[in-house]
Amino acid sequence: MNRHLVAVFVLIVVVPLVIVGWLGARLAREQVERADERLAEVMRSSLRGFDAEIGGLLDERARSLRAAMDGVPRTSEALRDLTRRLPVAGQLFVVDAASGELLYPSLMDRLPASEEDFLRRTREIWTRHRLLPEVAGEGGAELGEAGPREGWYPWFWGDGLRLIFWWRDGGGRIVGAELDRLRLLSDVVASLPDTDPRAPGQDAGRIRLLDAQGAVLYQWGVYEPAAGDWPLVSHPLGHPLAAWSLEYFAAGSGSGGGWRGVLFGLLPGIGGLAVLVIGLAFYFYRESSREMRDAAQRVSFVNQVSHELKTPLTNIRIYAELLEEELGGKGDAARRHLGVIVAESQRLSRMILNILSFSRRERRTLELRRRIGVVDEAVGALLEQFRPSLETHGIVLGFRPGAGRPVSFDADAVQQIVANLLSNVEKYAASGRRVDVATEQAGEEITVTVADRGPGVAEGERERIFEPFYRPSNALSDGVTGTGIGLAIARDLARLHGGDLELAATESKIPRSGACFRLTLNCPSALNPSANLGDSR
Amino acid sequence: MKRHEVGSRQRRANGRVARLRGDALSRILVALGLLGLLYLPAGEAGGEQIRLDAALDTPVMLAGGEGAFQRAFLRVALTGFEVAEGRRTPVNVAIVLDRSGSMQGAKLEEAKKAAMMAVRRLRSEDIVSVVTYDSTVNVLIPATRLSDKEDVYRAIRRIQVGNTTALFAGVSKGAREIRKFLDAQRVNRVILLSDGLANVGPSSPGELAELGKSLAAEGIAVSTIGLGLDYHEQLMTRLAVASDGNHFFAEAAGDLERVYNIELGEVLSVIAQDVDVEISFAPPVRPVRVLGRQADLDGQRASGRLNQLYSRQTKYFLVEVEVPAGRPHQQLEVAGVRVSYSNTITSTREGLSSQVAVSFTDSMAEVEAARTPRVMASVARQIGAERNRYAMRLRDEGRIEESREALLANAAYLEKSAELYGNRWLELDAQRNLEDAENLDEAAWQRQRKQMEYNQFEALRALGYIE
Repeated sequence: MNRHLVAVFVLIVVVPLVIVGWLGARLAREQVERADERLAEVMRSSLRGFDAEIGGLLDERARSLRAAMDGVPRTSEALRDLTRRLPVAGQLFVVDAASGELLYPSLMDRLPASEEDFLRRTREIWTRHRLLPEVAGEGGAELGEAGPREGWYPWFWGDGLRLIFWWRDGGGRIVGAELDRLRLLSDVVASLPDTDPRAPGQDAGRIRLLDAQGAVLYQWGVYEPAAGDWPLVSHPLGHPLAAWSLEYFAAGSGSGGGWRGVLFGLLPGIGGLAVLVIGLAFYFYRESSREMRDAAQRVSFVNQVSHELKTPLTNIRIYAELLEEELGGKGDAARRHLGVIVAESQRLSRMILNILSFSRRERRTLELRRRIGVVDEAVGALLEQFRPSLETHGIVLGFRPGAGRPVSFDADAVQQIVANLLSNVEKYAASGRRVDVATEQAGEEITVTVADRGPGVAEGERERIFEPFYRPSNALSDGVTGTGIGLAIARDLARLHGGDLELAATESKIPRSGACFRLTLNCPSALNPSANLGDSR
Repeated sequence: MKRHEVGSRQRRANGRVARLRGDALSRILVALGLLGLLYLPAGEAGGEQIRLDAALDTPVMLAGGEGAFQRAFLRVALTGFEVAEGRRTPVNVAIVLDRSGSMQGAKLEEAKKAAMMAVRRLRSEDIVSVVTYDSTVNVLIPATRLSDKEDVYRAIRRIQVGNTTALFAGVSKGAREIRKFLDAQRVNRVILLSDGLANVGPSSPGELAELGKSLAAEGIAVSTIGLGLDYHEQLMTRLAVASDGNHFFAEAAGDLERVYNIELGEVLSVIAQDVDVEISFAPPVRPVRVLGRQADLDGQRASGRLNQLYSRQTKYFLVEVEVPAGRPHQQLEVAGVRVSYSNTITSTREGLSSQVAVSFTDSMAEVEAARTPRVMASVARQIGAERNRYAMRLRDEGRIEESREALLANAAYLEKSAELYGNRWLELDAQRNLEDAENLDEAAWQRQRKQMEYNQFEALRALGYIE
């Protein structure tokens, strides 16, 4: 399995998966965000509901305070007695509305410890008359009937938020109570839901009630938030508990939590797609490799056939040539007939040679065998072989030799190349009626040019003609035989020989000026010690 | 279950007083001695009423000149009456269990068993609720009449371990369940179990004490059971004391069943609730301070409250007074005592009253002869507890040697007082102080502190607590 195919295979599998995964993740993220928003909306209104409940508790507390104080004389004894009997009131107080002076608890009496504490705690409120601006209402108006009649006063002392509820009692006094903070919290906690881990249909989140410092006062819900979790919704309570807040944590609201659910939804989809794509890739791979196997089989068959043909053909050619020599000058008709047999068998030989070379090229076992020789002799011998065939096609052959010095080269390869070129001339450029072959020798480089006067090669096909099996199809060449491998072989052999085969650029833009192939070879001189080594590819 | 009187008293005395350790024998002997003390004659008001006993430690004082004052102690003691077998006050109890992470394993299993045992002792007219808490609170069984015990057992068996400890919330939810059937004619009680530090919501002793006080005003008492060596003993005792409940120290999970048994025993022996005590001092006698149990001192009036009174148990208030010296043979009125309470057996509100006076003499012998040992014993016990608490503070500050000396001195004082007043409780207290003095080193302190906290609670329960 070659690397190229593996790369394609991997690409086919990976790229779609990555794309789908990315798109899927984006979609999922949007969905998660939208779901979160919806959940946040729902929970926000739920938290508001709890806030309202807590507000209701406060209102009820205020109402019962007022009811309890109703009709109770505003004396220290009676009020102390009432404080003892009322578990929910912390410390009661009475203020003179006009002067702002604290009437009860009063510093005039001998005070029990609890009242002393209360005075100490609340001194700021009385000395700075902080309660009174509240009572007076907006703009610090004069105390009187204009201001609000009752209200809550939240303030901070030591460990947290404390609440005072006050009201005007009609006797020119303001009466109120500092609520027992912990009792209030305890009642709030008691009124909020509890948590049953096993109840069906439980909201799988967690709600927390936080104090002013953000410490948890109470929490309920099955989910236990991890240290780094953020709440989905946060809602400060209404007045007078505005320093407290409620928070909601959605289950899995941690950094990876919401994602996990999404990923699980995505995974089957991607998994399915992956299986499909991999399956397809395998299918195509098997198909293509089957085709390649078939192709290989065919090539090998052709190879085999050519091998089989080669020996009998060689015999035919040799005996035909022997016969030609024996005949000597007798019998023109016989000579002519023989000439045809020889030429055809030579042609067949060349074809088979081409096929075998091509096969070797495919298997990368093409080899050169260099010998010391004269290029012109080799080229000349080949041209003589071709002359009769060219004449039959009406093509005049011209040869200008220029490579007469002995060099190291593979004569068979050179002949095969030139033979392919001439065979092409016969097939495609017969209309030019002429082909000129020339050789040059410059140092170690030998150049052979084969130029015809045919229709030439179209611009877009100048490179394609060198591709194996490619045969240009135009009006003139339809019906032409041939396998299309000639030029591919020729170029390969040329390159193997240290040179190249090119189609020379046409000098004039006149169409039908013919094609000129230039073969260059690298031929070390005979004196070169490396000259006899075989080149192989 | 027929309870043999003597045996049960001994058992209670043993359980409360003597933890079954090495000195078990001596403790049993001491406890047996206490039997004599506890067999009190019938009270003033006769029949099924609580007994009121108001007395001065020195009802006869030395005569003196103009302007001279003497100090004396007034003790107002209330004792619960006996109750016929089979009659008892119906109960409204909330069992609050800690299922935080540290309760994993044997602790939670034993707690569940103990809770089920407690439920077993209740009857169908009783009301029970079960609340479990870790970082959240789960009202496992909302307040319900105990018609089907199996349901309750099933729910208790399914309790599983959680993580952190929301103690405040647990108590709050328990109190809410109690409120559903809150009734002055029932014993309303939250029984709280915890093995560790509260860490969710209000978690300091002061805060829990505040809550306890508020619940007591409603008529709900919170009994606290501390399990193991990691719970916050101060928090647990202050919550119990502020709400007038009981406190227990269960060192190992195996102790839980016994502890729950004791607590249930007390809950099932309540005979009076909402006990209001008012002591009006007649001038020129002046009340100086109230020792121990919380009572408000307002001018010439001291007023206090007991959440409940148990059958055959005595609780008292102690007030230090200043008495101006009088002439020989003069009688001076000291105080009038008024008590009102709800008798839960007869479902009536009843009242008691008593007067206390002092007389003067020139004779020292008469003064000595008239001294009231039982009052003096209470005073000694109270002072002993104060000193023990002080020694505990010294040890907390790392002043180990000073602490040891204080404990040894306290033990000697209590021994002497025990002898003087013929009071076995004081002898027990002396032994406890000696034991405390031996366990002040680092390794033993964590445990000893819990034991001391519990001992002080024990001593002060009859007398109240010190802020």
